Amino acid sequence: MSDKKRVIKVAPIAATAVGIVLVCLLWVLVSAKPNPSENADSPLLGQPAPAVVTTTLEDKPFDLARRKGSWVVLNFFNSTCVPCRIEHPLLLSFVQNQLSTDNPAELYTVINDDNDSAVSAFFAENKGDWQKIRDTDGSIAVAFGVAKVPETWIIDPNGYVRLRIAGQLSEGLLDEQLSLLKVQFGS
Amino acid sequence: MSTSTKLNNKYSWFVMAAIATALLIFGGLRDGGPLTQQDRIDAITMRLACPTCQGESVYVSRASAAEAIRAEVARQVGSGLRTDDETIAYIEQRFGGQVLLVPRSTGVDSLVWALPIAALIAGAAALGVVFRKWRTTDDGAASAEDSALVDAAMASDS
Amino acid sequence: MFAAAGVSSSLGRALLLVGIIGSLFGAIAAISSARSRDQAVARLIPRFAILIFAAAIGAFATMEYAMITRDFSMAYVQKVGSTATPALYNFAAVWSALEGSILMWVLILAGYTLAVCFWLRKKMDDVLANWAMGVMFIVSTFFFLLSFGPANPFAKGAPGVFDGPGPNPLLQNHILVLFHPPLLYLGYVGVTVPFAFAIGALVTGRVGEGWLLATRRWTLFAWGFLTFGIILGSWWSYEVLGWSGVWAWDPVENASLLPWITATAYIHSVLVQERRGMLRVWNLSLLVSTFSLTILGTFLTRSGVLNSVHAFSESAIGPWLLVFFGIIVIVSIGLIGWRGDRLHAPGSIDSVVSREGAFLINNVLFAVFAFVVLLGTVFPLVIEALQSRNIVVGAPFFDRLVAPIGIALLTLMAIAPVLPWRKASAELLSTRLFWPAWCGIGALGISVVVGATGFMPLLTFALGGFASGSALRQVVLATRKQGLRGLVGRTNGGMIVHVGVILIAVALAASNSFTHSQELFLKTGTPAYFSGHSFELIKIVEETTDRAISVKAMISIDGGQAYAPAITKFTKVGMNIGTPSVKTGVRGDIYLTLEPPVKQDSGEAHIKVFIKPLLVWLWIGGFLMALGTLLAAFPGRRRKPTDATSALIGSNDE
Repeated sequence: MSDKKRVIKVAPIAATAVGIVLVCLLWVLVSAKPNPSENADSPLLGQPAPAVVTTTLEDKPFDLARRKGSWVVLNFFNSTCVPCRIEHPLLLSFVQNQLSTDNPAELYTVINDDNDSAVSAFFAENKGDWQKIRDTDGSIAVAFGVAKVPETWIIDPNGYVRLRIAGQLSEGLLDEQLSLLKVQFGS
Repeated sequence: MSTSTKLNNKYSWFVMAAIATALLIFGGLRDGGPLTQQDRIDAITMRLACPTCQGESVYVSRASAAEAIRAEVARQVGSGLRTDDETIAYIEQRFGGQVLLVPRSTGVDSLVWALPIAALIAGAAALGVVFRKWRTTDDGAASAEDSALVDAAMASDS
Repeated sequence: MFAAAGVSSSLGRALLLVGIIGSLFGAIAAISSARSRDQAVARLIPRFAILIFAAAIGAFATMEYAMITRDFSMAYVQKVGSTATPALYNFAAVWSALEGSILMWVLILAGYTLAVCFWLRKKMDDVLANWAMGVMFIVSTFFFLLSFGPANPFAKGAPGVFDGPGPNPLLQNHILVLFHPPLLYLGYVGVTVPFAFAIGALVTGRVGEGWLLATRRWTLFAWGFLTFGIILGSWWSYEVLGWSGVWAWDPVENASLLPWITATAYIHSVLVQERRGMLRVWNLSLLVSTFSLTILGTFLTRSGVLNSVHAFSESAIGPWLLVFFGIIVIVSIGLIGWRGDRLHAPGSIDSVVSREGAFLINNVLFAVFAFVVLLGTVFPLVIEALQSRNIVVGAPFFDRLVAPIGIALLTLMAIAPVLPWRKASAELLSTRLFWPAWCGIGALGISVVVGATGFMPLLTFALGGFASGSALRQVVLATRKQGLRGLVGRTNGGMIVHVGVILIAVALAASNSFTHSQELFLKTGTPAYFSGHSFELIKIVEETTDRAISVKAMISIDGGQAYAPAITKFTKVGMNIGTPSVKTGVRGDIYLTLEPPVKQDSGEAHIKVFIKPLLVWLWIGGFLMALGTLLAAFPGRRRKPTDATSALIGSNDE
């Protein structure tokens, strides 16, 4: 028969156990600290840049390998992405500033999941006369590991990837980072 | 005896078990035919996570990043140069660990596999303990206590 | 127009405030009536219930009115309203985003509170009933507060806006969007009722069987709608999302599945408490878990915490839900711990091989199932919080761990219906399981002959056959004894639900293991072939409405009727949505999607074809589950008190 003397109080024990687990979960959620970092990591940093062979919006051929000798800045862009639109004036001023240096960097916009007419319309309205290159099947984005736009990449004159900025640019960030890299890697 | 009781004996159950085992082994080991390229692509994309979604696989997601990765996987499978694992490693190299749909079994991530198994073992163990504690040791015969109770009741009745 | 607009906003908020006050005072009235047994106070309870229901209906109607009249002075209408959305989708747009869906929750909860109050109208002197009403009012207060405060749908929007983007285009595609959320909520919110009674029982110490039997139909009702809502969600996923699957183990789906798992465990386990007074702690824990999981699920999906664990503290609604969840869990666990002594069962389980034993094993399996789903959903969060890196726990994790649990559950489904209470002998089992086991062998044989491969799918089919045999045996026996009345009642309805579950398991196993797809590049006039079917492009059609341009490719399958997968571009939002087209058949579905880019006048189409074996049986299984639930809700054979409650050991009951 059931022994009423040796009553192991299972309920409170189990309850306390569940309670402890839940308190831990809540504590973990509440105490989560954000991890701000502007320069994102990538296995490509310090490696030769992936091959980029495509056409520009003006149907001229584009080959990243032939841009060796200059610093190249690639900006992954989509005309409907809000942070891209917000950072656009910063790109304009970047290009402006580069004109007064002795080895101006070349800025290219990589069109990410967008159609030519929308991009042309955006640039017609917001200015920016640098080359915009197509990425119709997304292979350039995949090669760089770009999932979300905007992203900005800096490639040195020898074709090596030196910097990745994920997310919207902040004021002066691009100029500053480029100068640092120029000092670090020469020219 | 009805037909079913005649048929239902240890022999029938043994035959049943034998048939079941044979069919399961035969069917389980049978080759389902060659995998098409699309099957390979589907299998790979089912193991990759779409980087802009909340945990959807590249196979499921209709996002543009997922389409781009699907196209890349299709290119690699089409070229035939890489195995499934190598293709996944290539994509993981580009996008980081966030495209692995299932955590690796190393380090802290292995907890996600270990905890459910631990829970199952704990559950089974608890069940074992409980069933053992509650198993009746007697097979229906009255205990001395109960007999005394009955005697007392009968005595007070009469 | 603007004057009226301001009125709408203020009216809505005022009604919500009435709701808050009404439910707060209702809770006070119920609890004080419970403690003081004052009948005058008890008579106030129904009035408060009516008041909050009126307030909820009024607020919801105000929201709908604003949406229908396209009142763009409200921020919510600016978010999801549009002049171009058709009337029906516009009506459903109210619950297409957070604020409106919380408002719908408030409405349904107020409705349930009133319904329970009406059901208890003759028992308002009962202390347990008062406590249950009190809990319902407390939960209502919380949700009214949520809707008044952080999730305010009546907030005024930016001035000078005269049109909006409309609801997400995925929600404008299929009429299911009108039904799926409300039906799911009927289940989701409905589990509050058994929870309220559980708390009432714990507080009053009356943890016996009376209130369980009384609330059986409420629990079944909520569970039924939860099941139906989940299945409708899968159907929507299949018909709209275009990846040809029904379940992706994404967090929103998991949030709806978790309470379903514990609720299913409860409706089985409660039978043991009814019959033998055992497993009380299990049942109360399951009820508490079910309700807590609805709150946790809402927190996980609505607070943005899954996008990034840091988004949670930035969202308005996250902290509220988390705190409420914490309160519920702590109070419930405290009550269960406090009443632990009264929950000790008078009887005990005699043997593993008995119906009680099977249900206890069932509980453990479902608990592990829920644990796996919860762990997989929450694990990325924890890792992100602790180590600041992003990992994904996706479908393969869940599939791999849930499959063996599913096999174990199928085995239980096969054996448990024939198990008697208390103890079963091997002889009894072998008699009763004989023909069902042969059904299983038959199913296995058919699967092998048809060409299925793979150990897990074949095992699923075999066990499916076995379990259907068991379930149908019960139904056949009952109809032999009672004619058509044998189809009605808890056991028989339950067996039909089981058959539905088995069909769903079989369909999922078949479509997960044996789906094949192929991309085809079609030119008009030249058919392409795949998997024994021919696909021919007839023409490409373009349709323009004022909100979308859709391009359809008319594809003829096997020379027959044309199916038209499409790509629709919603011009206002700039989003492209693919719409699949499905040819349903008993042996499998042929699922077509159109792949971009489509050039209208080129006479070419790039399509993807999926062959999905046995998929239609999922919907048939779902229908059987709904039918079985309905049948189970009816009273079955009236049991005479002198009837034996279980089969005598050693007897044959053919």
